Order: sequence, then structure tokens, then C-alpha cells
Amino acid sequence: MIDTTVLIENVLNALAAGITIGCIYGLMCVGLGLIFGIMKVVNFAQGELLMLGMYVVVYLFSVWGLLAFLGPYYGPFVAALAAGPVLFVGGSLLHKFLISRVSGLRTSGSLDEGHFGQLIITLGVSLILQNGGLIVFGSTPVGVRTPLSSRAWEFIPSEAWDVSVFFNKARTISAGVAIVVAILLYVLLEYTRLGKSLRAAADNPTAASYMGIDVEKAHRTAFGIGAGITAIAGGLIATYLSFTPFVGVDFVIIMYSGVVLGGMGSIMGAFWGGLTVGFVQQFSALVLPPQLQNAAIFVVFLMILLLRPQGLFGRSAERA
Amino acid sequence: MEIQGLTVAYGGLVALRDVSITVGEGQFVTVVGPNGAGKSTLFKTISGSVPARGGDIRFFGESLLTMPVARRAHLGIAHVPEGRQVFKSLTVRENLEMGAYTEAGRKNWEASLKRIHMLFPILEERALQLAGTLSGGEQQMVAIGRGLASAPRLLMLDEPSMGLAPAITDLIFERISQIHREDGVTILLVEQRVAEALELSDHGYVLETGSVVMDGSYRTLMQDDRVRRAYLGIGEE
Ligand SMILES: Nc1ncnc2c1ncn2[C@@H]1O[C@H](COP(=O)(O)OP(=O)(O)OP(=O)(O)O)[C@@H](O)[C@H]1O
Ligand SMILES: [Mg+2]
Repeated sequence: MIDTTVLIENVLNALAAGITIGCIYGLMCVGLGLIFGIMKVVNFAQGELLMLGMYVVVYLFSVWGLLAFLGPYYGPFVAALAAGPVLFVGGSLLHKFLISRVSGLRTSGSLDEGHFGQLIITLGVSLILQNGGLIVFGSTPVGVRTPLSSRAWEFIPSEAWDVSVFFNKARTISAGVAIVVAILLYVLLEYTRLGKSLRAAADNPTAASYMGIDVEKAHRTAFGIGAGITAIAGGLIATYLSFTPFVGVDFVIIMYSGVVLGGMGSIMGAFWGGLTVGFVQQFSALVLPPQLQNAAIFVVFLMILLLRPQGLFGRSAERA
Repeated sequence: MEIQGLTVAYGGLVALRDVSITVGEGQFVTVVGPNGAGKSTLFKTISGSVPARGGDIRFFGESLLTMPVARRAHLGIAHVPEGRQVFKSLTVRENLEMGAYTEAGRKNWEASLKRIHMLFPILEERALQLAGTLSGGEQQMVAIGRGLASAPRLLMLDEPSMGLAPAITDLIFERISQIHREDGVTILLVEQRVAEALELSDHGYVLETGSVVMDGSYRTLMQDDRVRRAYLGIGEE
């Protein structure tokens, strides 16, 4: 018999870890949700954009130390936010020179809407970035040293039990930052003229150009934002996890599961999808060996899609 | 707007050959012709999604052909495309807001919105519904409303009656006529419902396999035997 107190403690701690990690996954998925869910661009290099975001934090904070003056408490989080604009520029350039050739107005109305081209190109970019990363950054795992990653807030639900729940400080702050960034993006897309024009350009590029929207630019901007958002999530992950240039491979699976789970085309949905994946991962850690955790994600993924093919939060814009 | 000697080709296939059409300010001009005549191609060339091979299009004196697509809407050209092409995942209101993306549209937004709701009250009722879930007729109203929201100097409508029930078609025609009469918007219309369309217009052009074969006023065209036989189904056996 397992001691019930220990069981309760384990479940509550998995819940705490699930919420915090899930929010960070949520933000990561929001980035892909914009690119894949809304812009309908298949991007297999999304994991590498995440990886680059992580290295931006390492370089800004530790290697070059540009942001070291902010101290080990704020520095890494500011560096994570700074990864956003850096990868926004990187993502925009990637779109301008490669992705735009196989997406947008150029392929709208073609048989595959450019998906085959996108698949091949982004797989290639992904490989180049992984191996390029290996040359530039090396294969030694790196991380950002913040004292917060080894500290936790202790929370005692009830004096009656001998149970305490720990919230890792680095992850909890990261989760908070992730929620704020996700909300800002949501507001941008839902309520601003720029955001609406990005959605219109994704929905129907030809009609959008009749409205006077510069569709090429809109697509480039949206891709850049999606890259930047995922990079911020990567930067946040870098505050509690050490990694190598191949770290994107694990996360790209999580991102696609989250986006599809939440329902294509919904930013909020992508966030909930990521959160769900975070929960499943942490809970499966209670009962499964680590090698099987990604398998558990897929089992839950398949079960949910069996019950709700449109995803948890998907809504159909077409008439039934 | 003056179109002179316009030639357009898709690869080797010539879709428009030496087409000249004039639309005066405040006029209502209709283009009719059989399927595949090049009517939609004409509109797409004006709004810029299809490049021209030769000729010229002048809009208030400015040559359009060298102008990027996204600039043309800002000059005051609104294209209501064939098959409606609403933004399905955006709400009705957001669709109209996108129509008002141009500077003129933004300036006149309040007034345009009121006018659009007066012409199509259903769009006010359905303001928060996703446009993709509307019926065909309602989507056509969104498409026309979206065009109007830009406060255009030229409103181009490509087969607004396509796939609609006769009652809705009558309503749509009535509204187009109102937009022309009451708001003084210049209209360029492509229609298969030839008699009704020509009746509304000041001038009509007949386009066949890429060339203008005839043009004239409503009366001239309606009295022409060829037009009567081919498009109106009247005349001797
Ligand atoms: N993207 C394209 N590529 C190749 N050919 C095209 C393309 N678009 C149109 N065409 C051809 O150009 C010709 C004119 O087409 P268009 O759509 O302008 O005709 P239309 O007069 O609008 O016909 P409808 O009344 O059926 O709408 C047709 O023969 C068509 O097959
Ligand atoms: Mg047509």
C-alpha cells in the first residue's frame, strides 16, 4: 500500500509542475498556432526557432554578458523577452527569402496550397540550424544560471496534513511571463487593426489584397511574430533546463500536439493545448518511466481527437 | 477610368485582346458576356491580381499597371470578387472593418457603417457571427458591404447574383442601384442576368472570347438582334 499522504503530495506537486510548465508550453504553442494554425504554413523548423531563442538567452546573459548587469534574478527573464525581437527579425528574414516562395499569394489556390514545398524547405532549414548550431554552439549542454531554478515556494494546503507543494521559482516566474505575453498577443490579434489585417491576409490572401492590405508584408510579420513568441518561450525554458542544439526535436512534437489539440486557428486554443500537454507530461511522470512520457502525450492526443476532431477549442468557420 | 487596348494572357492563352472600356465618373457600366469571355480577368487586371501584357488602364489620370496591388485599393478601387470571397474566419463586423482598411475608409467609417446597415440590416444583426457561417445571400451582402466600407470611387461587382435565389437577386440589384443613385458611387458590374443588369446601367459592353464585340446604351443593346437572341433568348427561331 502506498501511503495516501505521499500519494496526495505527489499528485499535488505534479499539478503544480503541470500548471507552470504547461503555461510555458502554452506560449510555445501559441507561436506555432499563429504560423501553422492561422497562417496555415507547415513549419518543421519551429523547434529550432525555440532552440535559437534559448541560445539568445545564453549569449545575452552568460556568454557575452550584455544583460548580466541586471543580475541573476531579472537578467535571464529580460534576456528571454529579448529573444522575441531577435527571432522576430530572424523569422521575418527566413520568411522573406524562403517561406514566401512556397506560401501566401504565390500558392493560394494551388492544389496543395504550398504545403509540400513548405515541408521540404522547413525540414531543410531545421537540419541546417541543428547542425549549424552544433558547429557554432558546440554539443556541450548549456543553461542559464539563475539561483531561482533551484529554489521553490512552498505551499502548505492544510495544517492537518503533512503535505507541501513546491512551486519552482524559475518556472513559476516563467509561467507568469508566458501568460502575460500570450494575452498581449491575443489582444493584438483580436482587437487591433494590425492583428485583424494579419488574420484577413491569412484567411483569404487574394481578397485581402483587394482591401489594400500588403499581403506579403502581413504574412512576413505574422511569421516573424510566431517565431518571436516561440523564441520567448524557449528563452523561458532555458532558465530551468540545460540543452544542446538538438533540443528542438523534442519540443516540436509538443508544439504540434498542442496546436492540433487546442484546435487549429485559435490562439487561445493553442495555449490550452500546450497547457494540456504540460499536464499530461507531468502526470505521466508519476506512473511512467521518462522514456514513455512523450508516448503518453500521444495517447492522450489521440484520445482527445477521437472524441473532438476539431480540437478542444476549435470552431468551424465553414457552414456544416 | 479609361481602359485602352488592354491585353491579358495566362501563359499562352490570351484572355483579353485589345479591350477598350471607358467608365465615366458617376456612371453605371455593365459588362456582359458568356462564360470564359474574360470578364473576371478584366476585373482582376484592374485590381491588380493578374498582370497585363499590353495596353493601359488609367484611373483619374494615374496609370494603374505599374502600381502594386495593395496600392490600388487606396486609390479608391473596390473589387467585390466573383464567389464573394469573404473572410470566413472573421466576424461580419471584422469583414467590414477590413473593407475600411484604406485611409478613406477609415475616415468615413462611422458613416459607411451606418449606410451599410441601412442597406443590409441583417449585417447589423449578425455583426458578431463568423462570415463563413452565413448563407450565400448574406455573404454576398458582406462582400458588397465590405466594398462599400472603403468609401470607393469605383465599385466593381463581379456576378453578385451568382448562386442566389431570384428574390435575393432582386434585392441585391435594388441595393446596387441605390448605391449608385443615392451615394453617387461609380459602378462597374459584370452580370449573367443580362436584362436586369443592362436596365440599371448607363452603358453596356458585350465581351466575347476576350474582345469587346459591341457596346452602347441600354436601349441600343436591347434593340440589337444579336444581343436579344444570345443573351435574352428572344427573337426569331
Ligand atoms: N488563372 C488562370 N490560369 C489560366 N487560365 C485562366 C486563369 N483564369 C482564367 N483563365 C482563362 O481565361 C479565360 C477567361 O476567364 P474569366 O474567368 O475571366 O472568364 P469570365 O468571363 O469571368 O467567365 P465566367 O462568366 O464563367 O465567370 C477562360 O478561358 C479561363 O479558362
Ligand atoms: Mg467570371
